[in-house]
Amino acid sequence: MAENFSNLMMGISVSMQPYNFMVAMIGLVLGVIVGVLPGLGGANGVAILIPLTVAMQPVSGIILLASIYWGALYGGSITSILFNIPGEPWSVATTFDGYPMAKKGHAGRALVLSFFSHFAGAVLGVVMLSFFAPVIAGFALRFGPAEIFSVMVLTFSAFVGLGGKDPLKTCVSIFLGFILSCVGMDIVTGQLRLTYGSIDLMGGFNFIVAVIGLFGLGEIFLTVEEGLKLESTAGGKVTFKDMAWGIKEIIIEWKALLLGCVIGCWMGLKPGGATPASFMAYGFAKQGHKKSAEFGHGASAGIIAPESAAHGAGTSAALPMITLGIPGSPTMAVIMGGLMIFGLLPGPMLFREHADFVWGFIGSCWIGNFIGLFVVLAFAPIFAAVLKIRFAIIMPIIVYVCAIGAYAVNNRMIDIYYMIGFGVVGYLFKKLDYPLAPLVLALVLGDMAESALRQALLISGGNPIVLFQPPIAMPIMAVAIIIFFWPSISGIIKKRRIKVGPG
Amino acid sequence: MRKANLWVAVFLFVIGAIVMYDSVRLGFRWQPGFGPGAGYLPFYLSLGVLVCTGIFIVKQIRQLSKVGIVGDKRLIREGGLKPILWVLIPSTVMVILVYIWGLHLAAAIYLVFYMREVGKIGWLETALVGVLFPIGMYVVFDRLFLIPLPGGILGTYIKIPF
Repeated sequence: MAENFSNLMMGISVSMQPYNFMVAMIGLVLGVIVGVLPGLGGANGVAILIPLTVAMQPVSGIILLASIYWGALYGGSITSILFNIPGEPWSVATTFDGYPMAKKGHAGRALVLSFFSHFAGAVLGVVMLSFFAPVIAGFALRFGPAEIFSVMVLTFSAFVGLGGKDPLKTCVSIFLGFILSCVGMDIVTGQLRLTYGSIDLMGGFNFIVAVIGLFGLGEIFLTVEEGLKLESTAGGKVTFKDMAWGIKEIIIEWKALLLGCVIGCWMGLKPGGATPASFMAYGFAKQGHKKSAEFGHGASAGIIAPESAAHGAGTSAALPMITLGIPGSPTMAVIMGGLMIFGLLPGPMLFREHADFVWGFIGSCWIGNFIGLFVVLAFAPIFAAVLKIRFAIIMPIIVYVCAIGAYAVNNRMIDIYYMIGFGVVGYLFKKLDYPLAPLVLALVLGDMAESALRQALLISGGNPIVLFQPPIAMPIMAVAIIIFFWPSISGIIKKRRIKVGPG
Repeated sequence: MRKANLWVAVFLFVIGAIVMYDSVRLGFRWQPGFGPGAGYLPFYLSLGVLVCTGIFIVKQIRQLSKVGIVGDKRLIREGGLKPILWVLIPSTVMVILVYIWGLHLAAAIYLVFYMREVGKIGWLETALVGVLFPIGMYVVFDRLFLIPLPGGILGTYIKIPF
């Protein structure tokens, strides 16, 4: 414990170095802008800027990427509250109560509540990251290929069982992601797979290009289809009076805050991430609240719970990424992709071999979320003004920047064509309710999953029982199977209860 | 929406079949003394896609024959297709133009076109954004961070001096 603490202090001092501090500030400002703009989300905001980090030190690069994420988490709620337009999917739940409160003329109060809740969620998430990450990483050192594969099965079964979408569509999404990752040269045999004689397909599909297309262009198609309507409530300025009120209100609604933080951190650990966490926290806060009739008309708890959950989930998603190499959200997957470009493979060995880097990252999570709070409190109206620029100007600029990001990943022209294709796919999938996050995660983890599976099978001589071997893989697989069938299991339990209960 | 659901599922089913074809060619069985063949994982993945989309297609056809398409939501909102095409077609044209004129010049043309034609934005504003933004991007990416972006055929002849 003491060792971890001194490591953490070292990490914070690394992230306080002038250059890294400046990088974090730039990242936060860019992140808030990304968060404010609909059609430009955390995942593709980070993806577009990955090429810029190549010229930096790894620590500075990861600080930039992570800061964009923190900024986007904070920024998404600004437009939800002021314009009723969620800048990010995880701030949809904030529009339910944030916008009504702003409409009553208390925009500043709503913003203060949202930012402080974000900060509280972040603190719990970062505390978990700082003190649990070394423990989990130490445990994960004992993992062999079978165990790694079982953790991945757990990850993807969580999408199916707890994602809340049609299980068939989720499965198709996962399979397609893995298939895309197979295209190109096979790492074990050197054979060309799924290229059908085309030279262009030999290079395979890069997941960053997929993220930019699916989340960037796809989102733009959705936005122009809906047509962007601005119904601005006045101001957005935060006064000290608002801050005092906000702090008092948060102390009164401590239950909603705690609920949000805990749900957020829990949901962040397994894939699914910030968006379902915010909805879940909103639902729970409404259920257990004394004044649940006020929800939807500007209740404080209706802002506090989803916002703290969203940020808690966003931060704790870093925990599985850094310790196991399995990202908890698409944005974390992109950040992990950034790490791989530096030649750093996230996972338990990272703690051993690059301790300075890992602790620098964790330190920057503290610093980034802390400065982020002040940045958004001070400049919320300026960021909100970004949305007043007409969409006909913003839209082509986003497409342009997306094209730069897609090209610069590998310096390949074909990637820009893929980006447009992924954009159309992203639009269709969003419309037809195919989840995109599992597809992206499967594309990222494809190579790792396949080599783990093959190694495990080689060790056992082709016997798939090896994937269920005790002591570690078996319980993980068991949990994965339970989670996979969770919707039907919980249905059976409910039926039983009804039969036994009142009868 | 129900029809679109069906067609997308059929399309994915076909993709699954194409992938399976190639993985059978690669060899998906256990090769003695070597381990799983290159097509091992793709085979089971495509099998998964075929099974999932297959079940989905059957379900969807049953539902369609029972309730039909009456009262169904449209895939694209009424009047929604036009703005989408206004984004999709110019973006595609821009991407093709990159090959000839390079990314920044193609993007500048694209910016000006979209702002004038779709946004109906004044010439001054259009010109300012259309010229300054690509220059800014060029300076940041090509000059400051030394990431060479595509110059196109034109770019190989004209060198920008600064």
